[in-house]
Amino acid sequence: MQKIMIIEDDPAIREELALILENEGYASLPVTDFDIIPEQAERERPDLILLDIGLPGRDGFSLCAALRKSVAAPVIFVTSRDAGVDEVRALSLGGDDYITKPYSVPVLLARIKAVLRRTGGGPEPVDVLEAGGLRLSLTKGAVSANGKTAELTRNELQILSCLMIHAGQIVSRADLIDTLWDHQIYIDDNTLSVNMTRLRGKLADIGLPDAVKTRRGMGYQL
Amino acid sequence: MTLGEYLSDRQGRIALQFIGAGLAAVFLLVTGTQPGILIILLIAFLLVFLLANMLHFLRQRARLLEFQTILEGLDQKYLFAECAPPPRGLYERRLFDLTRRAGRAMTGAVSDAQARQREYREYVERWVHEVKAPITAARLICRELDGETRRKLTAELAQIEANIERALFYARAENPEQDCLFRQADLRKIAAQAIENHRSLLIQSGVRVETEHLNGVVYTDEKWAVFLLGQLLQNAARYRGTAPVITLFSKPLGKQIQLVVEDNGIGIPAHELPRVFDRGFTGSNGRARGGATGMGLYLCRKLAGFLELGLHITSEEGKGTVVTLTFPAKETLTKL
Repeated sequence: MQKIMIIEDDPAIREELALILENEGYASLPVTDFDIIPEQAERERPDLILLDIGLPGRDGFSLCAALRKSVAAPVIFVTSRDAGVDEVRALSLGGDDYITKPYSVPVLLARIKAVLRRTGGGPEPVDVLEAGGLRLSLTKGAVSANGKTAELTRNELQILSCLMIHAGQIVSRADLIDTLWDHQIYIDDNTLSVNMTRLRGKLADIGLPDAVKTRRGMGYQL
Repeated sequence: MTLGEYLSDRQGRIALQFIGAGLAAVFLLVTGTQPGILIILLIAFLLVFLLANMLHFLRQRARLLEFQTILEGLDQKYLFAECAPPPRGLYERRLFDLTRRAGRAMTGAVSDAQARQREYREYVERWVHEVKAPITAARLICRELDGETRRKLTAELAQIEANIERALFYARAENPEQDCLFRQADLRKIAAQAIENHRSLLIQSGVRVETEHLNGVVYTDEKWAVFLLGQLLQNAARYRGTAPVITLFSKPLGKQIQLVVEDNGIGIPAHELPRVFDRGFTGSNGRARGGATGMGLYLCRKLAGFLELGLHITSEEGKGTVVTLTFPAKETLTKL
């Protein structure tokens, strides 16, 4: 399990963040004593450090420089300071990424994942999803079942992968739209319906016409 | 100062001199001076008089010109009295001292006002950073809620964020040099960030955003460009029509790159179009819908001026609005 150190002085953010990271399958390491951070980092050897800039005592910039000397873990700055100058300074001090508050949780998680992967710590991204008798290859953008394969468009791929990740659960239309927007596909409700119809057509072609069920008033279910 | 102006300014004194000369001539005539001598005396007097006045006129004109040049060369015009050479005459010197004292009081007042403004701006910035912490926490806490409540709360939080952001940029726009950083920036990244910042509003408005033909690299301050684009997206979402679509695309214009934000919203009446960038202008759409502050586009124009961005808007009522942002070529940027 990968360990993420949270250096954040706002207790509400710190605790919620720790909770969310743990739900995502990381071990979280919230820091409460801000005087001994480098020592603590050296002892705990986190895989990644989330670092606020405005901290009691010493600011995040100098802390980052100090951390860089003692640990190899990548540092993501998470701060409410949004001026370009601060970002350049943070990155030049050895920060691996710079996220401004308030951030959306999916964005934060995606960037944590990206930094972990880039620095070689993270697991390889999942390429093949399997659920409900379907096999989805994310890089190829193809779904197969019963020995038949269908090519999917970018939108269809994201819809299906979201349904497969939550196989068995009901996924609401609003959640689907949210997920698509996370992937920079900015569709509206009507477009979702169109894409869903096409996706069902393609699933029917490979012999699974009823793979995606409509749960009236609630959403879709694989 | 022309000769005419000079003469009319000094007519009292000139009249006095002539009266004096006339009285002297009458006196001399009465006391038995020969008229021939009197005429010679009068001509000599006239010559001296003309010469003296001419010299005085030329000197005054030269001085005024000098003052004017000094004033024009000054960045802060109110420092004029500090920079102008003091006059020689006693009366003028006293007058000049008074002006100088008034000028110093003004300089003091101006620098006090500037300091207050700077402090206020710093306070706004600090406050914005402070208020972002609880918003971040609230966003994280929202994650534990179920779908619909979470979405509604997130949308409200996003609205608070958008308003705060506007206040921050309003404060920053006063002296933008401080935190502006021109760098190479990817248009797609700018667009993605702006859309992300306003996604709750866009999704709730049922907007579809097309970004297919958007690409290219521009030189600008990314944060500011994101804010500017965000204002345009908010407007497009607010003043939407049925089945709203916002299309973002880019096209080259010589060495420049244009980012076009096109919507199929309700549009802006032609007679209001020239005023949409004015401070506080809300227009008939804003009044009909309510909640418009008339600050968004005003800030856009202000920031665009600083970013050296071309900002152009066209609109047709009932059809939609097209805003074109022309990013400067790297070579022509003066602030890189």
